[in-house]
Parts: sequence; structure tokens; C-alpha cells
Amino acid sequence: MKKNATPPGWIDSLIDRLAPDEFAEEIRGDLYELFCSDLDQKGISAARRRYVFNGLGFLAKSFFWKRQPRHHTNPFTMLSSYFKMARRSLMAYKGNTVINVLGLVVGIASALVIATVIRYELSFDSFHSDADRIYRMVRCSLPELAANKRSNCRTGISYPVPDAVKAETTGLVEIVSMQYFEDVFVEVPDKSGNIVSRFREERGCVMVEPSFFKIFDFKGTGFRWIAGNPDKALEEPLSVVLTRSLAEKYFPGGNAMGMILKMEREADCKVTGIIEDLPPNTDLPFTVLVSYATLRMGRGDRMNNDWGGVNDEHHTYVKLAPGITPREMEKRIARVHQSHTPKDLYEGRHYLLQPLRDLHFDTRFNNYNGRTISRETILAITLVGLFLLLTAAINYINLATAQSVMRAKEIGLRKVMGSTRKTLVLQLFTETFVVVLIAGVIALVIAELMLINFQSLLNVTLRGFNFTDPFTLLSLLAIVLVVTLFAGIYPSMVMSGFNPVVAMKNRFATEKIGGFSLRKVLVVAQFTITQMLVVGTFLVVAQMRYFQNADMGFDKEAVVTMPLPGKADPHKFQVMEDQLRSQAFVADVAFSSTLPSGVRRNRSATDVGREDATTSKDYVVYEYQSIDPSYIDLYKIRLLAGRGIGLQDSAGENVLINKKLAQRLRLGTPEEAVGEVLKASWGKQFTVVGVIDDFYSNSMKEGADNMLLVTDPGKFDYVSVKLAIGEGQGSMQEAVKQMEKIWTAAYPEHIFSYEFFDENIRAFYVQEEKYAQLFQLFSLIFLLIGCLGLYGLITFVVNRKGKEVALRKVLGATVSNILLMFSREYVQLIVLSFLIAVPVAYYAVNSWLSNFANHITLQWWLFAVPGLLVLTIALLVVISKSMRTANANPVDKLKYE
Amino acid sequence: MSRIYLGELEELILLMVALLNKEAYGVSIAEELRKNASRDISISAIHAVLHRLEEKGFVKSKMGGASAERGGRRKRLFSITAHGRHALEELRDTRDLIWGLITKTQAT
Repeated sequence: MKKNATPPGWIDSLIDRLAPDEFAEEIRGDLYELFCSDLDQKGISAARRRYVFNGLGFLAKSFFWKRQPRHHTNPFTMLSSYFKMARRSLMAYKGNTVINVLGLVVGIASALVIATVIRYELSFDSFHSDADRIYRMVRCSLPELAANKRSNCRTGISYPVPDAVKAETTGLVEIVSMQYFEDVFVEVPDKSGNIVSRFREERGCVMVEPSFFKIFDFKGTGFRWIAGNPDKALEEPLSVVLTRSLAEKYFPGGNAMGMILKMEREADCKVTGIIEDLPPNTDLPFTVLVSYATLRMGRGDRMNNDWGGVNDEHHTYVKLAPGITPREMEKRIARVHQSHTPKDLYEGRHYLLQPLRDLHFDTRFNNYNGRTISRETILAITLVGLFLLLTAAINYINLATAQSVMRAKEIGLRKVMGSTRKTLVLQLFTETFVVVLIAGVIALVIAELMLINFQSLLNVTLRGFNFTDPFTLLSLLAIVLVVTLFAGIYPSMVMSGFNPVVAMKNRFATEKIGGFSLRKVLVVAQFTITQMLVVGTFLVVAQMRYFQNADMGFDKEAVVTMPLPGKADPHKFQVMEDQLRSQAFVADVAFSSTLPSGVRRNRSATDVGREDATTSKDYVVYEYQSIDPSYIDLYKIRLLAGRGIGLQDSAGENVLINKKLAQRLRLGTPEEAVGEVLKASWGKQFTVVGVIDDFYSNSMKEGADNMLLVTDPGKFDYVSVKLAIGEGQGSMQEAVKQMEKIWTAAYPEHIFSYEFFDENIRAFYVQEEKYAQLFQLFSLIFLLIGCLGLYGLITFVVNRKGKEVALRKVLGATVSNILLMFSREYVQLIVLSFLIAVPVAYYAVNSWLSNFANHITLQWWLFAVPGLLVLTIALLVVISKSMRTANANPVDKLKYE
Repeated sequence: MSRIYLGELEELILLMVALLNKEAYGVSIAEELRKNASRDISISAIHAVLHRLEEKGFVKSKMGGASAERGGRRKRLFSITAHGRHALEELRDTRDLIWGLITKTQAT
């Protein structure tokens, strides 16, 4: 017979695959026999043709497709055996099992945490009945919201608007207005009116209409009225509803109902209701709810007349009647607005409706929580979670296929003893399942610990544990199943496909295993993701460094700031200043209306023009600060020309301006600007006596503002104390205690508070700081998983190649030769993944950086350093593991031959 | 099974199984059919019929030894069961009976 006289292989594999197991052999046998006789009589091509024809003939027969009911092994009776075998083989390869479980634990735990965080973020205010019909009124200067500038998108609604909308339109089910207050001072008097305790509520205070609870029912969150009449409690002026925990805080152990609270030192409010605490996942995070009627009482006529003024904390929500589209309602609101306001107001201001569902996700608008998260961010976090699971699964695949060579004999023997491919696959899947399940259970515990400890980092507020939370358990189950399937399918297919004879002879060389090239691909994929994150992290951290250390135009170190409550009183200031200056730890003291920069400070802006300004276009908006003579020195703000201002300038006509304002008003160089006269839009004239360098009154994310400084002690709101740094100054706590004493002596009825100025600055970057921390955490996790996988792989390779190494050494290879041999491949793979990762990271980081006015420039070394770092770590892992093999005495390995 | 039904091809192949006696399998049956009955029947059809016969209980099968000419694959060897033999005999008797009647009527 000629050598190439073989039947067409595709028919064989077709029959193997499709035929019932018990027939495949005889069918192929008969076909082959016919083929041989045809070959003798009719030649090769005819024989092959007839082979195909005959083979395909079987496909037309019904018996070929019929499956007899199997009388042999029911897979379920084998189940306990599968688990037993899984346990044994996992115990047999302990090292591998540990690495597998560890990698999966880290991956699954992170995925669980991410799932919880995402679920938490998505749950914001989703629980109210008819949430789809609830909208918030927002304000835009341009009708197209596409003009995506934050300054264009505001939340404040002029006070008369809601009432007019309610009275003059149809289509609304409910409308509610509210005004939010931060830093509210609450005093609790006893029966005779003496104050027994004082509190400062930094957040949670709101003046709100009674209809609030008709729109927002907090359904299914455990919300309820503990005391008071839901319909009446917020009707009257000066009534207040407290949440349960606030009621307990103000009136420990007592009944709060009917008691009096003194708000902001002026309004005596009566507690008319107590409600259960609102859930943490709401952007209406109220704790002290004062009736809106109190606000009406306080504002009097301005409530109904001032169509222009807005306070961005004054929000209005509406619930539309079914069938009314928000666009239609916006038109109706616009008509109401138009009928009450002059042309320039209604043309420059548009009230739009923002769905409640977007409240938490639309970063253009603020909310009372002060925190939004864009849907893109949520998507990015989801992707990170998926990638984590993916790399963990890849680890498993890599290790399992590598390990399969060691198990070839076992698989071969199983096949000889009658295992079918199906039972083998089931067996191997059971092993994967057991590993993933063990990892899943450990991961659940770790995820729980992570969630508890990282709540503030993750912006999550959890109520109690969620071990038993059905969502967590279900997502764990889903993760376990998906990872099992994904990680198990390839190794089990490869292993169950072994030819028993070859497997038993142990003829597999490491490289010959089918999974090898795939394994390379997987390692590259894994390290690409890792490198992307590591490079990204490096750049994010570099940017954060830049934010923290950049020169903002003033000195922020060792400054303590304290607010000055009540009416400004120059005499009090003088006393306080003298007392402070007499302290050894005080280097300088300055009073001012606000601070140079920081998140928590007053901001006031108005406009100014050149002396010859006529139309509104000639005026420029600037930030106004009232300072005392030592302010410029204390904060080391650079004076470019002219002189500082002192108390002799307190009439207010002599001012300092910054370089930017000077340029904006075309006043020439700083020296030329000194002496120029400026005019405010209301007519007052200023004389520029000095020009200061620009400083960042906002964060470095934005540019510098126009700035104008005057001296007006009547407006002082803060005192800044520069601490003397050096030997023998006592402790910081001591200094703060002394300052508190002095402050409290001046303001005995207030609560002392202070802040380090640099912390106030740092607060600009809280969100970025969190991202940076999360990035660091995630890249650590990715690196950890990746290195675990590498460690497993290299362990396996090193074990397999013990003899080869011994031979090489006998033939003259040095230890470094051997190490090079082991690490060369991984260096190649990691460099390749770096090359893939860099463009992606560059794109992502670049678009992130473009959000900031001041950012680092992307230089090549910013990518190279983290890349080298990953390479080094990976190499360390590889070399540390292969070192022992490389150093081993070749005699030990070879003497058994 | 009171009523025996066998198709023409089924009967023919059942006869071949009886003829080949323990040496019956796909290819040998096909060869016998070509030699003795001048019928060229595809191997898949033969398999299908054998399968059907086995389902009906006329033949039984067991896997034989491997042989090199089949590339080391085993063949399934068929043998006729008592029930199969009985069915063939019954068919033959029925035919004989009818043929007898035919000759009688033609003779008269």
C-alpha cells in the first residue's frame, strides 16, 4: 500500500464526533476495510471518494442519530467520587492548590467588594415610589445642557418660582422646595431656658415643605414616622422633625417630642415629629428637618418678589402626573418664569428638569451629599472588577495546564480503566469547582473585612454585615460558577483529550503541551492589565504629588485657622490678637474675611472695571477678600509692586490687586498698575496701592482667579495663626489648647473649632486622593495575582527541567546562564505586555489629566519607571524560584539515571 | 411478537447473517450480498438494517477482536437469534405454502 493511501481524515473525525460511542469503532473499521479493498481494485482517488460517500451515507441514517438510553454510570452517583478525587489531587499538589486558591481569593474578594460598591452607588434614591416621575428643577444659562460646563449647570431655584409653578401650571402631582444648611448651631435649653448642651451640625439640616414625604417615601428602607403627624408636623413655622439618632443625641434618654431646640442662636423650634434615620444611600441626607414655613417667615416679602436672586442650596423637586413628559413640563415652567421676569432674566436663565435617577450620576450638578459619581466611573470600576476575576481565572488556567503534564499518567490510567472523556471532564471540573468554592468562601470573609475597613475610602456606608445579604451570596454564587466554567473548561479539555498511551509513556515535553502558546497569550493578557494599572497608578500618584507640592502662591505650612463667630468686633479682635501674640508658639496672627484658599472658606465675588468703564462688558468679576496688614506676610504672598495695605486703608478705597486682574483690566506691568484708579459697578472708586502675585484661591485643578484685597475689619471672619516651628515650642496639642482658651474667652457661647490650613487645601483633592489610593490598592492586587501566577508557572517549569539544568551544568553552563534561560521568556512576555499597555494607559491618563488646569507633563520616564518596576518584581519572582534549581548539585539530579 | 414483519432487505440481510454464522459484520455482509444476490448495497444501509434487526431481536452482536486490516479496530460480529431463525423459517413456510397453492392452481 502506498504511504499516502489514507482515507480522508475529516470523515473519521466527523464520525468520531457524531456517532454513538458504541458504533464509531465498527463504522470506521468497516469503512477502512472497504477503503482498502477499493484501493486495491480502483485506485486511491476512487477509494477516497467512495470513503467519503460511504461515510456521509451514515449521516443519512436514523440509527446513527439515535441515542440509546444509557444504562451505565449515572453522573450523579459519581459525584461523591468526583469530590473525593478532587480532594485527593488537590492535597497531592498542595503548593499549586495554595497558589490557585490565593489568586482566586484576591480576585473574588475584590470583585465582591466592587459589586457591593457598585450596587450601593446604583441604589441611590432608587427606592422611592414612582421614582421615574420625580425630577429636580435645575438652572442653566444655556438651554442646551450639552454645554457641559459646570458653571452653566446650577441647582438653585429662585424662591418665588416653585410657588408660582405650583399655582399656575397643571401636570404636577407634588412639588417640594427645600433649603439645605451646613454648619448649623443647635442649642438645647432646659425648661427654664438655660442652655444645657450645644451642638454643631456640619450637615443634615434642611428647611423643607411638608410635601417632602409625599414625594420621597423611602419605601422599603425601614423608614417610618416614630412620632408626630406626617401631614402636620412640618406645617407650622418653627417646627422641627428629628431623626431618631439626632433625637437621642439632643435628648438622651428622654422624649424629644414637644421639646424646644434653639437653632442658630435665634429661632426656638419645637420638635413636632421623630422619624427613623434616613438610609445612607440617599442624596437627601437630612437629619434635622425644619419647616419651610420658618424660611418664609424669615425672608418675608423677598420670598415672593426676588425672581433674580438664587441660592444654590435651595432645591425644588417635582413629581409629574403620569403621561406628562419632562420636556412638556419644562415648557410650562418656562412660561411661568417668562410671565414674571424681565427679558434679560428669562432669556439668560432656563429651568430644566433633571431625573431623580440621574441625581447621583450627573457630575455637572451638585447635590446635598456633595458627591456624584459618573456612570463612566462606575463602568470603569466594573471593568476593573471583571479584569480582576479574569486575571485570577487566567492564573488558574495557566497553572492547571502546566500541572497537567504531571498528571498525564493519572489521566492516562483513568482512561485505561474506563473513564470516558465526559467523566474526566466532570472530574476536572469538580476539582476547579472545589478550588473556586474554597476561594469564594475565604473571599467572602476578606471582602467583608475590606468593606468594613475601607468604607470611607470606598464612599460606602453599610448597615451591618452583609454576609447574609442575598445579593452578596447570589453574586458570590454567580462569580464562583462563572469562574469555574471559565477557568475549568480549557484545562479539562486539554487533559481529558490526552491520548492514554502517550500519556502513560510520559512522553510529554513541557513545550509540546497544547496549552503552551495559549499560556503565553494569557500571561501577556494578565500583565497587560497589570501594567496598565501600575502605569496609571504611577501617573495618578505623580499628579497628586504635584497637587500637594506645587507652589500655590502662598505658604500653607504650620498655619492654624479659626472661624470668628457672631458680629465682627474690632475691639475683641485686638484683645485676641494680643493674647495670641503673647504665646511663645505663635509666630504671626492675621485676621481676614476668608482664607487665601481651601475648601472650607468664605467666597464672595463682585465686579470691577477701569475708571472709564461704562457698559457691563467693561467690568470683570473678581474675588474679594478683606485682610489685615499681617495677612500678606503670614501667608507669604508675594508683593510684586507698591506696598501692602494697613489699617490706615480701612476706609476701603486703597486696594491690592493681583497680577491677573491687572492684566485683565489692561493696567500694564505691576509697577504701572500701582496708582491706577478702578471703579466698581455700583460706583465706588478704588486706588491700587500694590500688586500681588497670583495665587490659587481654588484648587490647582483650576486656574488662578482675579483677586482684589481691601482692609475692612467689619468683615473679618477668620483668624489665622502661624505657629513658630522649632525647638522648645511644646506640643501641637498644647498650642491648640491654649488657642482654644483664648478663643473661648472671647466667644464663651460658641463652640471652638480650628483647622490646619494645609488640611483645608488638601481637602480639594479628596476625590483624587481616593482614586489614587484605590488605584494603588488595585494595582497591588493585580501585581500580586500576576506574580502568584508567575511563581506557580516557574515552579512548574523549574521542577520539570531539573535534569536539563543538571546536564547543562555538567556541560559547562554557569548559574547565570541557567537563570537567563529561565527568565528570558518571561522578560519577553512582560516587555510585550508593557508595549501593549502603554498606549492604553497613556490615553486614559491623558484624558484624566486634561480635567485639570495644572498638571504634570507626560514624560517617557513616567511610563518607564513603573514598567521597569513590574519587570523587576516579576524577574525577582522568577529568579528567586529558579535560583535553587540553578544552584543545585547536578549529581543529585543525575545519579538516579 | 405474534406478527412478524420483515422488509425485503431486512430478510435478505438476516439470511446473510445466518449464512455467515458468527462471521457476519458490515463488510462481509456487503460482500456476500454482492456475490450471492448481486445486490450492491451501501455499507451505511447495511449498518442501519443490522441495527434495526438487533432492535427487533432477530440478531445479537458482540465486539470481535481487532485486526490489522481494519486499522486495529474491532468489528461487531452479528449472529442470528433463535427468534430470528424462527422468523425466517416462518417466512419461508408462508412462501412455500403460497407457492404450493400457486403451483396447484396453475396445474389445474
